[in-house]
Amino acid sequence: MGSRSVRPSRSRGPLRRLAGLTLAVAFVAACGGNDPSAATTPTTVPGTGGSTGDTTQVTDAPVLTNAPTTTDPTLNPVKGGTLVVGIEGESTGYNPTVDPWANGGHNVAKAIFDPLATYDGTGKVVPYLAESIEGNADATVWTITLRAGITFHNGEPLNAAAVQTNFAAVQASAAYKDQLALLASMKVVDDLTLELTMSKPWGTFPNVLVGNIGNQVGYMAAPAMLASPDGGRSPIGTGPFKFAEWVPDDHLTVERNDAYWQTPAYLDKITFKPIPDSTSRKAAFDAGDIDVYYTGSSSELQDYLAKQTSGDVNVTIGAPSEPDMVMMNTLKPPLDDVRVRRALAMSVDIPRLYDYLDATGVKQPMHGPYADNSYWYTAGNYPDYDVAGAKALIDEYVAEKGPVEFDFAGNQDPFITSYQQLFQSMWAEIGVTANIVSRAQGENINAVVAGDYQVILWGGVGGGDPDSDYQDFHSGTGLNFSGFNTPAMDAALDAGRALSDPEARKAQYAIVQQELGDAVPYIWTGTNQFGVVTKATVHGMADYKLADGTPGQPVTGGQFFLKDVWIQQ
Amino acid sequence: MPTARRNAGVNLFLSRLLRLVAVLLAVTAASFAMISLLPGDLVTNMLGANATQADREAARQDLHLDDAVPVRYARWLGNAVQGDLGISYRTRQPVAEALGQRLGVTLELVLLSQLIALAFAIPMAIFGALRPGSILDRILSGVQLAMLATPGYLVAITLMAVFAVKLGWFDTTGFTHLTDDPLGNLKSLLLPSIALALEQVALYARILRTDLVATFDQDYIWYARAKGQPTKRIVLNHALRPSSIGLVTITGVSLGRMIGGTVLVEFIFALPGLGRFTIDAINNRDFMALQGSVVVLTVGFVVINFLVDILLGVIDPRIRAGGAK
Repeated sequence: MGSRSVRPSRSRGPLRRLAGLTLAVAFVAACGGNDPSAATTPTTVPGTGGSTGDTTQVTDAPVLTNAPTTTDPTLNPVKGGTLVVGIEGESTGYNPTVDPWANGGHNVAKAIFDPLATYDGTGKVVPYLAESIEGNADATVWTITLRAGITFHNGEPLNAAAVQTNFAAVQASAAYKDQLALLASMKVVDDLTLELTMSKPWGTFPNVLVGNIGNQVGYMAAPAMLASPDGGRSPIGTGPFKFAEWVPDDHLTVERNDAYWQTPAYLDKITFKPIPDSTSRKAAFDAGDIDVYYTGSSSELQDYLAKQTSGDVNVTIGAPSEPDMVMMNTLKPPLDDVRVRRALAMSVDIPRLYDYLDATGVKQPMHGPYADNSYWYTAGNYPDYDVAGAKALIDEYVAEKGPVEFDFAGNQDPFITSYQQLFQSMWAEIGVTANIVSRAQGENINAVVAGDYQVILWGGVGGGDPDSDYQDFHSGTGLNFSGFNTPAMDAALDAGRALSDPEARKAQYAIVQQELGDAVPYIWTGTNQFGVVTKATVHGMADYKLADGTPGQPVTGGQFFLKDVWIQQ
Repeated sequence: MPTARRNAGVNLFLSRLLRLVAVLLAVTAASFAMISLLPGDLVTNMLGANATQADREAARQDLHLDDAVPVRYARWLGNAVQGDLGISYRTRQPVAEALGQRLGVTLELVLLSQLIALAFAIPMAIFGALRPGSILDRILSGVQLAMLATPGYLVAITLMAVFAVKLGWFDTTGFTHLTDDPLGNLKSLLLPSIALALEQVALYARILRTDLVATFDQDYIWYARAKGQPTKRIVLNHALRPSSIGLVTITGVSLGRMIGGTVLVEFIFALPGLGRFTIDAINNRDFMALQGSVVVLTVGFVVINFLVDILLGVIDPRIRAGGAK
C-alpha cells in the first residue's frame, strides 16, 4: 500500500492551530492526482491492541501517490555533501518543550532530536529511541524502556532520568503541558526504564511520543540544554545531526553526528534556509539554490510529478494532513442557530472551490472530520450540497430573527481573500451577507482564542486519529473554539481516549461524528496532502528506515527525516 | 573667522545631538504606547492557544506586563541608557545581538539601491531637462511613470524569475556576507536592490529634472551658452550642483525611510534584515525587540538627515550660513 496518514496524538498545540491558518494559505494545495484511482484505495484496518503502536494506528489512504517511492537500487549511497533545505519560516527557538514548531521547525528538529516513537512504513506507532512502550491492561500505567548506549551530542546519557527531565519540562511548559495532562506521576525503575502513572486510562498514549505539529513531547533534548535559559538557541539531541550554527532568518546549519546510535547519516551538513514567501521558495528550488522543497500545492505537486517522470526531480508524497475547513462560532448569532450553519454548509459548491484551487480530482470532499476513506469515518448527518434547501432554511431564519450577516475572517494573503470571496458569492446566493475580514495570522488566533469571531477559515481539526481532536471537541478543554459540544460527545471522547481496541474506539467516534453532522459547527472542504521535492541528484528521501532496518514513514504532512538522504556525487 | 566657524560647528553638532535625544525619547515612548494599544497579546503569541488563563497570568507577571506603560517604559529606558536593549521575549535572543546581525544587511541593501537609483535617475533627469517636451523627455517621463506605478512585489518576483531562475545569474534568495564572498554578496543583493531602486529612480529623476529645467533658464546659464561652453560642461559645472538641493533632500528622506521600509523585499528575497525583524516584532507584540529596532531606525533617520543638512550646506553655502545663524 502506498504512504498513509498517521495523525499525531491527542494534543495539538498552538502551532497546529497556527498551521491551520497557514493551511488556509497552503491549501492552495493538496492535489496532484496522477493516479485518481488512488482516491478510492481502501484503508487498512488498525492493529488490535496490545503494546506500542497497535493501540492507535490510523491509516488514511493517500490521494496522491507516486511510484516508485524508493531510490533506484542500482545507485549506491555515498557519504558527503551539504544539503540545502528551504523551510517556510523561522522558529523562535529549538527547545521542544517550549518553542512551537511549524513544519520547518519539525524538519530541523528531526535532524537534531530523535523521538521516543515514530511511524513505521504502515503508519503504525513504533518505539524509536525507546526499546518498548508497554501499557498495563487498563492503560493507566505505561512503561518506557530505552535502548541502551545512546548518548546526547554533549555526551550525556539518554536514560530514564533524562526522559523524566524532558517530561517534567513539558509539564512545566505553559504551551505544552496539556499534552501530558493525564500524566500523574513518574518513577525511574532502573537506568533505562521509566514508569508513568496516568490519572485516567490513556490508551492512545504512545501517539503523543511521535514528534509532529503541536506534538513535541516525544523529542528528547539533553537535560543540560533544558536547564539552560537559552538552550533553545543551541539545541542538543541524540539525532543524526549535531547543531552547528544558527543565524535567525538566514540559516541554521547542522553537521553529521558520527557517533550516532544508528548508522551515521550520509550528508556532511544540512543548511536549513527560511524562505517565508512561497513563490520565492519555489523559485529558489527551480533555480537550484535549494535542494529540497516541500509543498501542499496541488498544481505544484502535479507539475513536479510530471517532471519526475523525465528524471528532473525526485518527489516523495507524504501522508495526508489536516483537512481544509471553515469554523463557525456557535456561541455567536446568527451562527448560534443550526439552521444558519447547516444552510452555509449546504450552499458551498465544492467542485467550484476545487476548480479555483486547481485541485479537481485530487482533493477529496469530506463529510466530517475524517476523510470518507479513513478507517475512522462513519457517515453522519452532514448536509449535502443543496442551494434550494439552504435558501429555505435562511428564509425561515430571516422571517423569525431578521437578516443573516456575519464577519468571515481569513489571513491577508490575496489568494485567501479571493478564496473567501468565492464563499461570499455562494452565500450571497442564499441571501446571506458575509463581510470579509483580512487579518494577520496572529490577530486571527487571538480572536479565536478570545471567542471574538463569527466565521473563519481554520484548520488543525480533523484527519488522522480522532483522539487528536479531543481538545477541539470536548467541553472541558477551553480549546473548543467552535463552542459546540454535547454531553454525548464528551462521553464518547473520554471513552475513545481510554479504550485501546480500534473497533471499540471507532464506535465512540461514530457518536462524535453523528453529533457534529447534526450540529455542523464546521464546513469541511477537503483533504490535504504534502509532497517533498528534491533535485534529481538527491536520493533517499523515501528510504527512511527504522533502527531495525525496516521502512519508516518518510514524509508525514510537510515533515520528513534526512538521515537516509544522500547526494549523488 | 576660524574660531567663530568652529564654535558654530560645535553648536550645530550639540543642537543636533540634543534633538536626537529628544526625538529618541519621543519616538520610543510613542512606540511603547502604540504597541500597548494594539489588539492582540504578547503572552498569547508566546504561549499559544493551549495555555491556560493561569499560565497567561503568570507569564504576564514574569514579564511585568501588568505594570503601567510608563513604568515599563521607564524600566526599559533605564536599561537602554546603560546599553542593555534587553532580550527578545519571543526568541530569547539579545536584542542588540539580533540588531547587529541584521543592520548590516539592511544598510547594504539600502545603500546599494540608492546608488543604483541615483546612477539611473541623474542621467535620465539631465537628458529630459536638456530638451523639455521633446520626444526623449516624454519617453523618459513615461518610463518613470511606469516605474512609479509598478508594484514593488511584481518587480521583485519578475526580476527573480528572469535573472535568477531563468538565467541563473543571481541568487534567488538568501544573503552572502561581503567578508565571506564579495561577488556572492553582490549576487545576493543586486536584484533586491534593483527592486527597491526602481521607484526611487522615477522619483529622483522627476525632481532633478524639474530643478534642472528651472536652472537652465537662469541668466548665468544663458551666459555660459552664449560664451560657447559645451553642454556637458554647462550641465556638470554650472547646473547640476545648484539643482541638486531637492534631490539630496529627498534622497536623505528616502534613505531614512527605507532602513525600515525594506520589509517587502527582505521577505521576498529571504534577506535577514531589519525590516523583517521589525515586522516580526510588531506581529508578535515583542515590544522589547521592537524598541531596539525603533532606536536603530530613529538614530539612522536623524543621523542621515544631519548628514543631508551638512551636504546641503556644501552644495549651497547660503544654507550653511542660515543654519549657523
